[in-house]
Amino acid sequence: MIHLINVTKTFEPKTVALKNINLHIEPGEFISIVGQSGSGKTTIARLLIAEIRPDKGKIVVGGWNITGIKHRQIPLLRRQIGVVFQDFKLLPKKTVFENVAFALQVSGVPKSRINKIVPQVLKIVDLGDKLNRYPQQLSGGEKQRVAIARALIHRPKILLADEPTGNLDAINSKEIIDLLLKINEFGTTVVLVSHDKEIVNGLKKRVVTLENGEISQDQKVGKYVI
Amino acid sequence: MIIITIKRSLWFALQSFWRNIWLSLATIFIISLTFLSINFLVIINAISDSAITAVKNKIDVSIYFKQDIRESKVAEIKSHLETLTQVKEIVYISPDENLRVFKERRQDDQIIQEVLKELEGNPLSSTLIIKAKNLSDYPEILKAIDNPAYTDLIDKKSYDDHQTVIANINTITNNIKKGALVISLMFVIIAALIVFNTVRIAIFTHQQEIGIMKLVGATNGFIRSPFILENVFSGIMACLVAISVIYFILSLVQPHLANFFNGVDLNLIGYFNKNFIFVFGSQLLGIIVLNIISSSLALGKYLKV
Repeated sequence: MIHLINVTKTFEPKTVALKNINLHIEPGEFISIVGQSGSGKTTIARLLIAEIRPDKGKIVVGGWNITGIKHRQIPLLRRQIGVVFQDFKLLPKKTVFENVAFALQVSGVPKSRINKIVPQVLKIVDLGDKLNRYPQQLSGGEKQRVAIARALIHRPKILLADEPTGNLDAINSKEIIDLLLKINEFGTTVVLVSHDKEIVNGLKKRVVTLENGEISQDQKVGKYVI
Repeated sequence: MIIITIKRSLWFALQSFWRNIWLSLATIFIISLTFLSINFLVIINAISDSAITAVKNKIDVSIYFKQDIRESKVAEIKSHLETLTQVKEIVYISPDENLRVFKERRQDDQIIQEVLKELEGNPLSSTLIIKAKNLSDYPEILKAIDNPAYTDLIDKKSYDDHQTVIANINTITNNIKKGALVISLMFVIIAALIVFNTVRIAIFTHQQEIGIMKLVGATNGFIRSPFILENVFSGIMACLVAISVIYFILSLVQPHLANFFNGVDLNLIGYFNKNFIFVFGSQLLGIIVLNIISSSLALGKYLKV
């Protein structure tokens, strides 16, 4: 499903974020990429959505070699990968419904279909009664659930969650992780980027540990050991 | 797909305009002020044009014929002069008409009235009053009048008296026009910079949103079009506000203009009505083009996500 082959990424002036990374993620997997700040885990997430490009190596997502992806193709890639961010990245002047609908509107989905699907997905994340709220009227956990609903609306095969619990308390964090597990159960590949030891250890799923831009451990049922 | 995208762009533009109403109003306010300052310049130009035209209209050349010249000869000269392309209008004043006007003007002067009674017959002669199309045409007309065939017929010409004045007015009006053009250009450049920066600031406040839209898979065109439409919409609104304010101010000022400019016929509302499409159409077109360029340039910076 996702292949990073000999990937190296350096940021100016001379910060090596990733060194010759080889990572293969199978369809339907739930994988946690862990490591300390600056270890390169967010760089992987940014590479996967073509926000940045590798200096060396090859990246394949869903059979699509995105290493030298053209600018006009980037929106198509991003519609195939659901992304959840630590800071939610919701549009502040749009309602919950509109935020989720926006992800469909960008790909020209008709209004009638949007009106049918969006409430369904928001119901799954338990926000069926808050369609007309604005982001500032929601709690942190609710905002993140809106972000997850938006990420899922395209029925992506991959869900990329970059520190999704970073701004949440323990209870909300657990709810979000449970939601990600549920999504994974339906067959979606989930890539969780996190530095939260407790959460990663509680998952009992594959853990890839990054240290100074290199993979130091890759365990089938792993733990965050740094 | 294209129709859906256009509809959505329009809807997003209106939605964003309304939901960011204070930003929208601030943008409209600044662009309206720019419009008003440009139209203030238009008003100044209209006033100076009217003043120049009024002064020009007061200038003419009078040819006073000798007393024994027959009317038919004067009519012949008139017909000849009328063939000149530089001539706008020639008015013939007969000796009788000249006398009547003279008597009227001097009706309070007893001595003149008595002298006229003592004289036998009309001491005044025929006159031709010639108006040129342009001030610069007078020398050509004078050259035609200086024809040796007419020299013996003409008693005197008024042009010799105010030749210097005409030359001075010509220079002054030309300088005023050049000055107005330079000031207009400066105003347009300043206005363009104000609008450009206003739009940039409006887009800057949306930079985070633009980044989010990119991350959820929106194409540059899909992101760009609502912002451009929103700014074009603000420009149109600002133009409407400026038109309303200008007409309101003119309706208050118009009744006092004739007194203020000492009888000069100055109908500013009429001027704006007559040139409505040119004045406001060109400004509206300018603001739309400027908004599209400013929005596109400002957005480009934030679309590289």
